[in-house]
Amino acid sequence: MNPIPPAIELRQLTKRLPSGDRILTILDAVDLTIAAGEFVAVLGPSGSGKSTLLGLAAGLDRPTSGEVLIDGAPIQNLSEDALALLRRRKIGFVFQSFQLLGNMTALENVLLPLELGGHERPLERARQLLLRVGLGERGHHYPAQLSGGEQQRVALARAFAPRPEILFADEPTGNLDGATGARILDVLDELRADVAATLVLVTHDPSIAERADRRIYLRDGRVERVEGRPSLAPGESPAR
Amino acid sequence: MTAATLLRQMVRETRGARGRVTFFVLCLAVGVGAVVAVAGFSSSLRATLAREARQLLAADLRVRSLKPVPTAVDELLAEAAAAQGVRSARLTEMVTVSAAPQGTAGAGRSQLVELKAIDGEFPFYGRLELQPARPLSELLAGDGAVAAPELLVRLSLRLGDPIAIGGKLFTLRGTVLAEPDRLGNAFSLGPRLFLSGESLRSTGLVALGSRVTHRLLVKLPDEAAPAAVEAFAGRLRSALPDPAFYRIETSAEGQPELRRGVDRTERFLGLVALLSLVVGGVGVAQTVRAWLASRLDSIAVFKALGARPREILAIYLGQTVLLAALGSLVGVALGMALERLVPRLAGALLPVLPQIEFQPLAVLRGLGLGIGVALLFALPPLLAALAVPAARVLRREIEPLPPSRLALFVTTLALLAGLTAIAGLQARSLAWGAAFAGGLAATAAVLALGARGLIFGVHRLPRLRLPLPLRYGLAALGRPGAPTVASVVALGLGAMVVVGMRTVEHGLTSRLRGDLPTNAPTAFLIDIQPDQWAAVRAEIDRAGATGVDSVPVVMARLAELDGKPVAALAAAREQERTAAARDDDDSDEERGQRGRWALTREQRLTFLERLPADNTLTAGRLWEAPDVDEVSVEEEYARDLGLTVGSKIVFDVQGVPVALTVTSLRKVRWESFAINFFWVVEPGVLDRAPQMRIASVRLPAGGEQRLQDALAATFPNVTVFAIREVLEKVSVVLERIALGVRFLGGFTVLAGLAILAGAVAAGAAQRGREAALGKALGMTRLQVAALFATESAIVGLLAGAIGSIAGTILAAVVLEKGMEIPFQLELAPPLVAIVLAAIFAAAAGLAASARPLQQRPLEALRAS
Repeated sequence: MNPIPPAIELRQLTKRLPSGDRILTILDAVDLTIAAGEFVAVLGPSGSGKSTLLGLAAGLDRPTSGEVLIDGAPIQNLSEDALALLRRRKIGFVFQSFQLLGNMTALENVLLPLELGGHERPLERARQLLLRVGLGERGHHYPAQLSGGEQQRVALARAFAPRPEILFADEPTGNLDGATGARILDVLDELRADVAATLVLVTHDPSIAERADRRIYLRDGRVERVEGRPSLAPGESPAR
Repeated sequence: MTAATLLRQMVRETRGARGRVTFFVLCLAVGVGAVVAVAGFSSSLRATLAREARQLLAADLRVRSLKPVPTAVDELLAEAAAAQGVRSARLTEMVTVSAAPQGTAGAGRSQLVELKAIDGEFPFYGRLELQPARPLSELLAGDGAVAAPELLVRLSLRLGDPIAIGGKLFTLRGTVLAEPDRLGNAFSLGPRLFLSGESLRSTGLVALGSRVTHRLLVKLPDEAAPAAVEAFAGRLRSALPDPAFYRIETSAEGQPELRRGVDRTERFLGLVALLSLVVGGVGVAQTVRAWLASRLDSIAVFKALGARPREILAIYLGQTVLLAALGSLVGVALGMALERLVPRLAGALLPVLPQIEFQPLAVLRGLGLGIGVALLFALPPLLAALAVPAARVLRREIEPLPPSRLALFVTTLALLAGLTAIAGLQARSLAWGAAFAGGLAATAAVLALGARGLIFGVHRLPRLRLPLPLRYGLAALGRPGAPTVASVVALGLGAMVVVGMRTVEHGLTSRLRGDLPTNAPTAFLIDIQPDQWAAVRAEIDRAGATGVDSVPVVMARLAELDGKPVAALAAAREQERTAAARDDDDSDEERGQRGRWALTREQRLTFLERLPADNTLTAGRLWEAPDVDEVSVEEEYARDLGLTVGSKIVFDVQGVPVALTVTSLRKVRWESFAINFFWVVEPGVLDRAPQMRIASVRLPAGGEQRLQDALAATFPNVTVFAIREVLEKVSVVLERIALGVRFLGGFTVLAGLAILAGAVAAGAAQRGREAALGKALGMTRLQVAALFATESAIVGLLAGAIGSIAGTILAAVVLEKGMEIPFQLELAPPLVAIVLAAIFAAAAGLAASARPLQQRPLEALRAS
């Protein structure tokens, strides 16, 4: 048995939704194990269940059946608030549409998770992160005053500020042009290296997926195939 | 489009908008409820006054005067009694002192009473509830007395005990529980006491100078028709030698004065209620705008599919009318429920307790005003939405053109005109309507400016080191397109009414209740006969009085002004008054009434060598004309009578004509509470006229009752009025009135809260996203709720602050300029208002955020 549990383990994970008088199966008994520190890309056509998988794994949504284990502990039966506390401690997010709070400045957005997690000297950390993503001078700007790429960089700073163990990214470059997207991915890599976070990234784009340790292809709610090296042996650090 | 398709489209178009429908209905229902409650209750009250006019007069016809009814009328009545079976009774009313005589449990105690002495049968109509249930005449026969139960309690008397009135003993034979004609008894100087007319005359209380009201009650045979009552009133009028000094009331008129009082109150309260409806209208506009914003795609699709603008307008206008009708109906139900609460709230202020009945006109008014206000406020956003280009179906970001300045100007003008019309309808006066609409627009503009400034400032406060919910709330004030200003203005208007009213009330009552001016008297003694003065003075000194002041008083009537007989002048004024009443012109009516009162009242004259310190001459000179008998007149009273320096006056002093010339006008500081007179005559002229004395005294606390008790035994004709007690009674009445206005003002607050909740709910999509994001970042639901609550609380705080400031300023102006009462800043009501506004707003905001709070994070994050 592994002394160190995998960061994420999905067991027979199934999600069904009623649609009119039929029941749609979005995810169908998916099994997946992601080791701590691993970078996994989830690929697949629209409607294949990528985002649902991400939402379930992050505890943003509840499965119809099956289990989600984070660090070996099942989370599907946790209360909303317990889930919130889990996310606060361990999980970061990056979204396709950035999802910054429009009323708050860039700095305030980055501060938000630090304050929620009760980190020490949050201001210092937030400023430092903004500096890391190249927006050190723009902390007082509102999201509307920033370009798409800049907004996503703020989102990255916000996601990594509390040093999450796991980062979920849902098409983080989907709304950006190629060059900007590439720059975002570089920043993402850098920040991830700092905290050695596990990364689950949903994308359509094979060139982005190339950067991952493993690529999971979904089709119609099932794992179609897996590319790349198999799950790392326990205790081994991720190869770069 | 056929009507059926239109209706189908309308229904389809409201799908998924249940939340908005609720706020729309709520916004209107609150205001309509207030309007219907006011209109319905006043109608019921008026109907009761008209229907029970006979009971309320206790007769078919009543003649009221300060003079006894002349013999000419006696002859007419005797004749009519013989010929037609007309019956009549005479009532003599006065305020006097009653006392518990030696040998009774309460010996030595005294109490002011409102005495009513009866000659003949009473009442002809209505219920006089007596205990024991015997005819009043039987109980009063042979020196019997009937009193209100509280008099028995205060003097510790029981039925069968003697009671002293005017130095004579009477036997208490019964108690009176209800009288048909004791209207509007909110303010009374003492409990009721009945005696027979003969008994009263045996006391000698109706001596020269006593203030007595005479009433003649007439009953025509067999439920006389109104025409017959009016005809008999005409015969009586022509039999009176100087009819201006008498007031004839008939059951056919149905209490016109009271009903006009109700009208006037309704007019004022109706506008207060309308305010909440108009604020609700702002909410309607907001809901419609948010609704249409979410329908812009549909509108574009409609257009792309070939719908014409007016068909699209018809769909959304139809929806608005339907919803407005729904909201108004809910409001009508609310109003009808409220009406039934009014008697509990205002009981003692009402002249009669009306039977609350279904008032179709009030309901119609509520429906009409509700739908009218909704349409007025919905029209601008509706028209703006029509400008959506059809190309939006292709490219979403094509926004509707901003409405032109002209269109904005025209819709604003239409809104103001509509408001004027509605307020005019509500107040039954276009001038009032225009004043209301203009005043409201100006106030709202000031509040909006203030709100904008505050928001601008607060949004820019350094907030980085504030706790998260507070920072979020402050940041949210600047939310693009945040309906914060509208919410602040609406809620602020409500707070303004409540705080303003409370401050005016406080200013008035603390003035009435507060310390009397130093050296001001604490009691007046009236009806002292000249030969009693020395002994009364000794009694006053024994009571420990300081600052005793006493002057002679001569009672007189005006006979001629500048050669014109007063009877004719009064008749002219009366005509002016009735004409003004017909034209619904309040100010002219009041002028007419004051003029008539000034002419026909019993005039109290004094004579002094020097004017008291609180009098200042404003025209003419005092006692310097050698060849005429001079009089100095208070300047405002002189204006009512049309007098100036040089005017010639003839008084009738107990039948003796006295000619005087006005040689000076005075300004009097009445608030000193010292003895003051409208008329001061040159010494020497009236020295030998029949007179009595009036005195003012300053007594240690509680001394008034002890003095009255001491005087009651020896000088039962002398009445002590404790100023403090009278002011206290006035305060209680004022507080009741103010409570009613504040209660209605509370509806504006409710409407404001509904708007805030509507605004919060309108942003539900964005809020849902924020809640989801917060949760994704690890916030608990409680923390997310705290963020939303703080945001709304800040809006409430701003509204409360702005409304309180505006209300306080308004109250200061009303008190200082309108009532000449010094304004004192009282911090409690504004602070309470601010805190309450924040709490209520937080609650409303939370209630409106319930859905986003419950949403699963993923749904919201995906939807964007």
